[in-house]
Amino acid sequence: MDWLEDELKNALSRKEPGEGFDERVLAAARRRNVVAMPRRWMAAAAAVIVLAGAGEAYRWHRGQEAKEQVMLAMRITGHKLNLVQARIAGERQ
Amino acid sequence: MVFSVAYHFLHDRDLAEEIAQDVFLSLHRNLGAVESPAHAAHWLRKVAVQRSIDAARRRTRRPQVALDDVAEPSERPSPGDPLLGDLLRKLIATLPESQRMAMVLRYQEDLDPSEIADVMGIPLGTVKSHIQRSLALLREKLARRGVGER
Repeated sequence: MDWLEDELKNALSRKEPGEGFDERVLAAARRRNVVAMPRRWMAAAAAVIVLAGAGEAYRWHRGQEAKEQVMLAMRITGHKLNLVQARIAGERQ
Repeated sequence: MVFSVAYHFLHDRDLAEEIAQDVFLSLHRNLGAVESPAHAAHWLRKVAVQRSIDAARRRTRRPQVALDDVAEPSERPSPGDPLLGDLLRKLIATLPESQRMAMVLRYQEDLDPSEIADVMGIPLGTVKSHIQRSLALLREKLARRGVGER
């Protein structure tokens, strides 16, 4: 190792962070832990809301389907009744 | 070690502290993956290098120091002189980022070229070339400023 490399070692000797650095890191780690907890709860709550919403949507969808089936049945029934009435009227004449 | 790598690489105390804090919090999150103190040291050094390089690339508000912008010292510093240390740090700050990091790891962390290659994730030949070129450039710049061999 020559003189320049010796000088480089001196010039680049390790430097320490400002006073209280350890405490700041620990405080940041604690803050993250505190923040991380509600996030987990928020995720769980979001999952519950999504599931509840999906159930509601599914029930509404099933309700709509049933309603359409009733309407279709009534339309078919009405059509058939018309046909029966028309046939009766034709026989009377 | 973590703060010092970032500080010598970035020449910005606040940013270096921010990076060091981030690196330690990252270690805190990944403690389960750390197998031994030596592994932790290797991990910390590697992440510090990566975060420092990322920060240097993101940092646009402060332009890099150009080699010609480094002021001539009012007196000729001699070996062992604190002025020479200051001049060397300023000259190192003008090196391209990969060369600068290789120099920091070589002379601050006392790593050999193969360890530097591993930490930086670049070929061994590139590390050797970075160090040789940087030393040659520093010698040339120092000679131009009247700082020669002992």
